[in-house]
Amino acid sequence: MLRRLFAALLILVLPSLAMAETCLSPYVKRLDRPEKYLYLFCVDADAKDNDFVAVIDVDPASKTFSKIIHTVDLGSRGNETHHWGYTDDRTRIWAGGLLSSKIWILDVATDPAKPRIEKVLETIPEVTGLTGPHTYYALPGRMLLSFLGAKDGGLPAGMAEFTNDGRFIRRIDQPKDAPYAYDLAVKPEFNRMVTSSFTPMRNYRKPFKQMDPKDFGTEMVVWDFKARKPLQVGRAGLAPLEVRWSLKKGANYGFTNCALDDSLWMFRGKTDGRYEFKKVADTGPMPADLRQSPDDKYLFVSNFGGDTIQQFDVSDPEKVTLFSTAKIGTQPNMMHVTGDGQRMYVSNSLLSTLDRDGTFWVRLIRITPEGLKIEKSFNVDLTSFPTGPARGHDMLLN
Amino acid sequence: MKYFPIMISLSVLSVYSLAKADSPLARIAPAPEVKLIDAEGEPFDLSKLRGKAVLVSFVYTTCNGSCPLTSAAMAQCRDALEKDGLWGTKVEFVSISLDPAHDTSEVLKMYAKIYDARPESWHFLTGPTDRVDRVVASWGMWARKNAMGVLDHPSRVFLVDPNGVQREIYSLEFLTPDAVVADVHGLLEERSPVRHPARGNGP
Repeated sequence: MLRRLFAALLILVLPSLAMAETCLSPYVKRLDRPEKYLYLFCVDADAKDNDFVAVIDVDPASKTFSKIIHTVDLGSRGNETHHWGYTDDRTRIWAGGLLSSKIWILDVATDPAKPRIEKVLETIPEVTGLTGPHTYYALPGRMLLSFLGAKDGGLPAGMAEFTNDGRFIRRIDQPKDAPYAYDLAVKPEFNRMVTSSFTPMRNYRKPFKQMDPKDFGTEMVVWDFKARKPLQVGRAGLAPLEVRWSLKKGANYGFTNCALDDSLWMFRGKTDGRYEFKKVADTGPMPADLRQSPDDKYLFVSNFGGDTIQQFDVSDPEKVTLFSTAKIGTQPNMMHVTGDGQRMYVSNSLLSTLDRDGTFWVRLIRITPEGLKIEKSFNVDLTSFPTGPARGHDMLLN
Repeated sequence: MKYFPIMISLSVLSVYSLAKADSPLARIAPAPEVKLIDAEGEPFDLSKLRGKAVLVSFVYTTCNGSCPLTSAAMAQCRDALEKDGLWGTKVEFVSISLDPAHDTSEVLKMYAKIYDARPESWHFLTGPTDRVDRVVASWGMWARKNAMGVLDHPSRVFLVDPNGVQREIYSLEFLTPDAVVADVHGLLEERSPVRHPARGNGP
């Protein structure tokens, strides 16, 4: 009786699959209302002023809708502020610099319109032996971070775990035959984590033309998540970036975008427990970000090198088909799909070393039954700050 | 008799060589102090449970969201641990009120009965509001009223090892009997003498 009551209550309390934000750790509390604020992690474009967080009003009922209503000065410059992630309870954002390896812990609960810096972790390389914090993945009461490289900016990369308030718990080493790292994602029902590969600081800090194309990884690692132990090293195309597990319960597969192979790959668990890795679609040039629709039907790919966003139908993961394409502007990169699956915010900076256009913005795409439609009335200009242009990269909604 | 120290050393060595690997669960942090009042109105001190694994939750009795689910999930875990012969002797539960002003010992006693929680092994705790608030905050937890006037709070359940160290934190969705039983077994099978001085295999 208790078991049945528990199951019924669980269904009522937990957000349904079709109405939840995607591409967040499954352990993060989901928004139970439409978004009001969009947080944008910004690099001062010429690195002469401090990096910052911009708060954009995205409540259509607000008088300041689509305006930048607040900025948070991060107190230093040249950090290459890049990715971030919520803690499990959504009260804090962990945000990091790829060049400085600093991590800012932001309080977004006290006043969501005006986040404040709660703590700055300044000695990450000394504490962890790693540099280039990349993915900030919430676990209950903790954060699991991937790092792009070792303390000296080379390899091996790795992961490290912290308490929500910033105390180091442990470091998790890459397997020897997969020294690169990039993203991570967990599918708790299978106790599996998959990680991907990019390049370490010794390479990504160089101008694009000077980067060593041989210093990028192709490896994807399947882990026993509970034990944090690598089980299998697979290979995808060059630079497999985002890891997106299928959102469907019982679906033991997921996808990644291979940025330097212009392709979409699938990883899938087989009956013998091992995973297969195979290419399922060609994309536009340099697919930099990969997002999911809440109903698990579509994948969105931003082609940084091709100035397009593609919507792929992945209802049948074996037969991935292009459904729609949008041309939203030059070098689209990060995307963020709303919990209702009807809108997608887009920013257009990847790295200071890779950007080829100085016009930075945040724009909005409506996800309609007919495909992607650009919302022309929403265009947040990032070139006119008092400190000059800013490169907007990762985004979070609140 | 002169060989006695050698025999002792060999004995200790054999304990080491037979030792199973430590649990893969990280040592997250020492479990913060919990000195509160239980549902019987008696003082309770978490440190008195050293030597046993402890599952620690934070709930309040008038919650109509995640708290009843958390307590129901813990009841399922309790049943599984009982089936494994671990309940009470090796594992106990602690549930700390997030609303101590309402959740008196009497209220908690009634609440415990819903989950067939016997007070000797499942301790529902309350106390003066300021003291409970300090305990809640020391575990990284919080509870505050949302716009609807309802207490909002994270749903985390902590697994503390027999040495008083937090080793796992479960969210409600992943608090399952299988996971908890496996994790508890992993902790109880750790053989490090430093970490289990009560077992008498330390130096």
